[in-house]
Amino acid sequence: MSDQDDDELRYADMTVLELLTEMKDTSETIVDLAYASLRFNSSSIAEEVRKLEKDMDDLKYAMRYRVMLSARSRDDAKQMSGILEVGLAADRISDAASSITSLLRFPQEKRPYINNILNESDEKYRMVRISDVSDMKGRTIGPDLAVEAQTACRIIAVKNRHGWTFDPEGFFKLRAGDEVFARGSAESLDQLSAYASGREPYEFPEAVPDDKAEEDAADDAEVEEALTEELRGEDSE
Amino acid sequence: MISRIDQMILELKDTTDLMVDLAYSSLLYNNVEIAEEVVMLSEKMSDLVDSTQDQLVEVGKASPDEVYRAIVTTRLMDSMLDIADAAESIADTVIRGLADHPVLAMSIRESETTICLAKVAEDSVLAGKTFGELSLSTNSSMFVIAIRRDDGYIFGPDHKVRIEAGDILMAKGPQDAEGYFKDLADGTEKTIGE
Repeated sequence: MSDQDDDELRYADMTVLELLTEMKDTSETIVDLAYASLRFNSSSIAEEVRKLEKDMDDLKYAMRYRVMLSARSRDDAKQMSGILEVGLAADRISDAASSITSLLRFPQEKRPYINNILNESDEKYRMVRISDVSDMKGRTIGPDLAVEAQTACRIIAVKNRHGWTFDPEGFFKLRAGDEVFARGSAESLDQLSAYASGREPYEFPEAVPDDKAEEDAADDAEVEEALTEELRGEDSE
Repeated sequence: MISRIDQMILELKDTTDLMVDLAYSSLLYNNVEIAEEVVMLSEKMSDLVDSTQDQLVEVGKASPDEVYRAIVTTRLMDSMLDIADAAESIADTVIRGLADHPVLAMSIRESETTICLAKVAEDSVLAGKTFGELSLSTNSSMFVIAIRRDDGYIFGPDHKVRIEAGDILMAKGPQDAEGYFKDLADGTEKTIGE
């Protein structure tokens, strides 16, 4: 990452769309990780939050750079002012997440309210271990298992003998012994635990043939378009 | 056991989460009504923070051991307020009419957690049921942020809210869960859960 020329802005080759998408994703992941760091009293998770926060700063500057380059008219500039504000807001969320992890400096018994709310919230955080009799073992969390769609639990991080993987990509393969940090409702997390321990066979996603999937996506886009119009109300007619 | 303060902070956290979801939704649909709700929630946040602070002061007065915890809690609340402010800034771009650029909506559609709309059909298994009865987010992996009903909205519906035919549900979740969710709403899919 640091082998590039120091004069170059990091992420400067990304498009505004790529930058915005990355910033939006990061703003959500980082808040999850921040609360998880308190919940699991984990300095490793807190460290990742700080790393993401630095990334977010780089993304923010890259965004300003790209946006300024792309403004060709007053109208462009007006639109871009909105885009910059959204990017800045995502950055502020990441700063707030970083402040939340700074509470880790205080001993756990000095922050009991925080632990209570994280246990009482509808969305809870839990660690589950992949057993060697689990159907999840040896499979990818995205294409094979579709964990989030099938269990309604979001995998925030995975810890194994190689260390931590935060916000793992779809192709990340789970192994026996992996510790999976997840967020979800109590019911969803119970289900995930049952699959991870091998107490229950995994309910795999139905395979949809590619052409059918494409057709469905086109239909969905059309419906979404119509509903978006409906949402806007009569003034759209 | 959950104390009064726990409950207040939990409400702050839930409100903050909802504000962020609604802010991104208002951006996706370039929708002023949703954006205005974010601003309203922000006022609610301020009131809630003030009363929680009063409560923390009372706890501290009654038991000096609690003062340290109260201060740590205040810092957490500050961060929550920062997140709420950021959500309000996003909504503000919509209210000012500075959120028309298509790249904003596209960035949300392309992100890991996306937002979609689904209309509830007469013969949908969701029609006439409450969120509590359905455990919709657990069973579909999609979390309903708001409901468009007639000319109004129900924001952040709780367990008691009953879904009606004709409702437009606005939900967030992973892209690969959208299909099943939409099928539940339009009546194609008749089984929910096991």
